[in-house]
Amino acid sequence: MGRIVLDQVSKRFGDVEVIPPLDLTIEDGEFAVFVGPSGCGKSTLLRMIAGLEDLTSGNIEIDGENVTEVPPSKRGLAMVFQSYALYPHMTVRKNIGFPLRMEKMEQAEIDKRVETAAQSLNLVDYLDRKPGQLSGGQRQRVAIGRAIVRDPSAFLFDEPLSNLDAALRVGMRLEISEMHERMRTTMIYVTHDQVEAMTMANKIVVLQAGRIEQVGSPLDLYHKPQNVFVAGFIGSPKMNIFSGPEAEKHGAHTIGIRPEHTDVSMTEGTWEGRVGVAEHLGSDTFIHVHDTGLADMVTVRITGDISVKHGDKIFLTPRADQIHRFDAQGQRIA
Amino acid sequence: MSDRKLPRLLQTPAVLLLLVWMLVPLGMTLYFSFIRYVLNSLRRPEWTTPSLSNWRGFGNYEFVLKSKDFVLAIQNSLFIVCSILFLTVILGILIAVLINKSFPGQGIVRVLLISPFFVMPAVNAVLWINMILDPVLGLQGIAVAGINDLLEGLRQMPVLGGFFSLWPEFEPISFRATQTSAIAVIMMVTWQWTPFAVLIFMTSLQSEDQQQKEAAVLDGAGTWSQFRFLTLPHLGRPIAIVVMIQAIFHLSLYAEIEIVSRGNGNKNLPYLIGEFANNNIGAASATGIFAVILANIVAIFLLRMVGKTLME
Ligand SMILES: Nc1ncnc2c1ncn2[C@@H]1O[C@H](COP(=O)(O)OP(=O)(O)O)[C@@H](O)[C@H]1O
Ligand SMILES: [Mg+2]
Repeated sequence: MGRIVLDQVSKRFGDVEVIPPLDLTIEDGEFAVFVGPSGCGKSTLLRMIAGLEDLTSGNIEIDGENVTEVPPSKRGLAMVFQSYALYPHMTVRKNIGFPLRMEKMEQAEIDKRVETAAQSLNLVDYLDRKPGQLSGGQRQRVAIGRAIVRDPSAFLFDEPLSNLDAALRVGMRLEISEMHERMRTTMIYVTHDQVEAMTMANKIVVLQAGRIEQVGSPLDLYHKPQNVFVAGFIGSPKMNIFSGPEAEKHGAHTIGIRPEHTDVSMTEGTWEGRVGVAEHLGSDTFIHVHDTGLADMVTVRITGDISVKHGDKIFLTPRADQIHRFDAQGQRIA
Repeated sequence: MSDRKLPRLLQTPAVLLLLVWMLVPLGMTLYFSFIRYVLNSLRRPEWTTPSLSNWRGFGNYEFVLKSKDFVLAIQNSLFIVCSILFLTVILGILIAVLINKSFPGQGIVRVLLISPFFVMPAVNAVLWINMILDPVLGLQGIAVAGINDLLEGLRQMPVLGGFFSLWPEFEPISFRATQTSAIAVIMMVTWQWTPFAVLIFMTSLQSEDQQQKEAAVLDGAGTWSQFRFLTLPHLGRPIAIVVMIQAIFHLSLYAEIEIVSRGNGNKNLPYLIGEFANNNIGAASATGIFAVILANIVAIFLLRMVGKTLME
């Protein structure tokens, strides 16, 4: 069980309102990802749910019970920190068993649970080492193990992968998704990386300056961004967004078109420009096009390879049904 | 190999200097401890110059071992040092944890806390023994007299007076006596050195990882468990440093003992050395060698103990 409801929750640090009042519901068993640029208040929001940060106003409910005044350890949540926050003087075994020891559980039962957790995380060989003797990925696993043994009603992750190198990050991403599939426990995952958000989430919450810009499934956000911010934030490479006469032609203040929804030709098309840098990934090619008169640079994405040179003339044609239109307030026009 | 030679060569003067610095005094002490060497002797004037022809073997050591104050001096050295270590570490941790929280006037409180460390040991001893511990003129004498006056007043009360007349008169304690002078020394040195411990522990506390604390809070650790399982192990190394440095310093306490009781019933090894050195340099040197051995034993023992208990 782990249905988490935020009701008009807000947070100020002194005079600065970091999180204006917001409402949010995370259903039991959901994998919710808070995503947004650095400093937008994701960690603060997560820490408020965990109880590490007091609310300035509002209420938090877990499984129908108001936990606003309940101390962190009694909320039944487990958290994995960005810096892992392992206890440096304890062995891996003691680290994982620590929450159980604090519950005054019997040693035999602790040993059993630690053993089970260690097996599922491939940590059995490292149980008697100290955190200082482990690699980044292993430390991350220990931190997850310490969360798992408590059998929490929800897991909270604060940028757990940002200290890992790219290859490990992809691996751990899969492992965490796998873990969620297996356990079906509510998870709230904070990241500034929209790729992590898109690949892992059932529900993405896009935050900007403490406000919720949009809540939805990854594909919702991709196909129907509610505003210019979400349109620019979700998707890689970024959506091309421009205002001006071209937007007015489509009856909007601003329009957006994703790089992968633009067709390319060397001879004819709607917009004309000059090739800047072309990035060849093998499977895809990203071409950055200049001098279109629309924006500084328009990015297009082509499946497969194409041979273009710097300075070549190039024509772009947006797919009409994939153009996103926004009004002067930056809101989506249906 | 050849590119190693130059750095080695450049290091040599420093290493040599250090060796000379350490080995010469130690060697001289060893040498003097095996010969008869006194400053003044009308009967045997040949003993007043150090010379191998005055070889005494282990005679000086036997003489020291048999002297009536030696065992007392060793016991006292250990008692004083261990008590001071115990008190300063406990007080240091308590105070450091207390003032590590932010509160108004923090800066001033910290400066005041450190200030005893800048008082000269002899001044410290004079202040304590005369102004604080003196049974008549010191704070102690005044306080005890005050309490006795108060009790006297209470005894005059109509009903409760009977109850208070059962209470005894309080006696001020003399800290210059044989049994108590070591306690006085422990008190004054603890007062002076607690700031040192506080300073070291506070620095260490400020480098404690806050996310670990938060993780522990979520794991259900209360204040005591956080202190026991996170803060104390984190302080393990600073505690070892405080213990080591203080052990070295306090094994050689002298001024305080001289001022409190002139060694009356309260000698430690350095004081004994001082007494022998009034004339018998040979015996003083032998005592010095005993002191070196004792210092090493204490250091090793203390380090083991601190290491074992804190690092889990
Ligand atoms: N303890 C604090 N005191 C004052 N300001 C804070 C504190 N914690 C966070 N902030 C501010 O709140 C904002 C949001 O921070 P945070 O939640 O850490 O952002 P994110 O995790 O999205 O990068 C930032 O502008 C940060 O400076
Ligand atoms: Mg953050």
